[in-house]
Formats: sequence, C-alpha cells, structure tokens
Amino acid sequence: MDGKDLTQKEQGAVESTRNLRQVTPLVDIYENDEEILLHAEMPGVTKDDITVNIDNGNLTLSGVRSMTQDGAAEWEEFGDVQYQRAFSVPQTIDVNEVSAELKDGVLALHLPKSEAAKPKTIEIQAG
Amino acid sequence: MFARISDIDRMFDAMGLLRGRFDNIFSEFDRTLGYEPKWSVVSNYPRTNLYDKGDQFELVAEVPGLANEDLDVKIQGNYLEITGKREVKTPEGYRAHRSERGSATFTRSLTLPSDVDSAKVSATLKDGILVLTLPKSEAAKPRQISIN
Repeated sequence: MDGKDLTQKEQGAVESTRNLRQVTPLVDIYENDEEILLHAEMPGVTKDDITVNIDNGNLTLSGVRSMTQDGAAEWEEFGDVQYQRAFSVPQTIDVNEVSAELKDGVLALHLPKSEAAKPKTIEIQAG
Repeated sequence: MFARISDIDRMFDAMGLLRGRFDNIFSEFDRTLGYEPKWSVVSNYPRTNLYDKGDQFELVAEVPGLANEDLDVKIQGNYLEITGKREVKTPEGYRAHRSERGSATFTRSLTLPSDVDSAKVSATLKDGILVLTLPKSEAAKPRQISIN
C-alpha cells in the first residue's frame, strides 16, 4: 500500500511548462540568533522578474532573465534563463517579516526568526 | 494468497515508479547548477557575449556580486582585458550553513574582430551584468560603396 502512495506522489508532481533553460542559482546561507540570511546569485534578473514564495514551509525562488539583443552575435556564452530553486524553511520563521533586496545581481533574503524561537538566557536567582 | 497478490501489485508499482523516472530523465538532465564548475571551459572567469552592431561592438559579461570598483577594463587596439575581484565573506556575527558562491579573482582577455576606438568606449554595470559599448575605429567601420 505504501508503495502505491509513493508512485502516485511521484506522478502527481507539478511540472511547469518550460521554454527557457532552467538554471539553479548558487546560494550562500547564513544564520545568526535573529535571522537566516540567504544570498542567491541571479545576474541579469531585474527586481520585477524575481518571485519569492513561502508556502507551508517551502521557500521557492524564481527569476527570469530576459535580455534583448540586436546585432549579429560574434559569440554567445549565455542567454535567457530561468533561475529556480526551492528550500524547506523551518516553522520558526516569521513569514510576515521576510524581506529581500537585490544588489549587483545578488538577491539577499532575510528570514527573521519568530520571537518564540529566539534563544533566551535565563537568569538564575540567588536562593 | 492475498499477500502474494499484493506483492505482485507492489512490483508493478515499483516498475511504474521507474518508468516515471525515465519519463522525466531528459527534462531533468539539462538542469545545471550555476556555472558547472567542473565541466565548463568558462569556469573561473565570467561568461561573455559579443555582438556586432555595424559601427560598434557590444560586449556583455556576467559579473554577479561585483561593484564598479571591483572591475577593471583595459583596451588596446583589438585587445580587451577584463579584470575583477570578488570577495564573499560571511557577514559579521553569522554562521555559514552553505557557501556555494566563492571568492574569486579573474582576468579574461579577448581579441575583438577589429580595432576599436578606445577613447569612445563606455561601460555600464547593472544587476550583475557588465555592458561595454565599443565603437569601431574609423578604418574598421563599414563603408557604403556606390556603384556607378
């Protein structure tokens, strides 16, 4: 029975229509007591073409690079691509407070931890 | 007896799973991770495109994470050299979970198809893409020849 479940799950996986080459962006992930910080490299993608989705503990990054070029190509080593990558985020992230900025083709995503998840030091009272 | 039938059922499920994998094999095959560091010829320096626009060339390079001051462009005749330096450091007070982007210094030299007027070259950097506009030198510009 569990074998059957596995089969159905596999086939039910969402497949998007693809007309662009898909590339997985390189990322750096950092953490401190306050937040998780993610840097993703997406050269050539503008602010409006990036979507960041957090749904049920799944973080999806997606960005489309569309470059308009005229003239005859002497050589071409890169072109239009779709950057796509997914992560699972812990439930302790405060989804409403997530912020992102884009600088020099690198997306910085701040995922703050919720108050309850921050480490606390408990003071010991002298008895 | 029923246990046996469910075993057979499971075997077919497993085969179906395998078939599902094979169905996706080609669509998953071309998913590449960033710069394909091990296979690609262009691994340690940025990828570039060069376009010929008649009286000028346009060179486009992928330089994510580099600011103006990290880049240096030199031009002489038809020889072009791009030098850059990127430092990726763990921000103060953070612990690193994953670091795929690395620090790097690179130099890439290119030979353009013809001489360019180095005085008129302009460069812009936006969203990690460097665009160099390289006007061709007078001798290399296309000329219209009228037929008598």
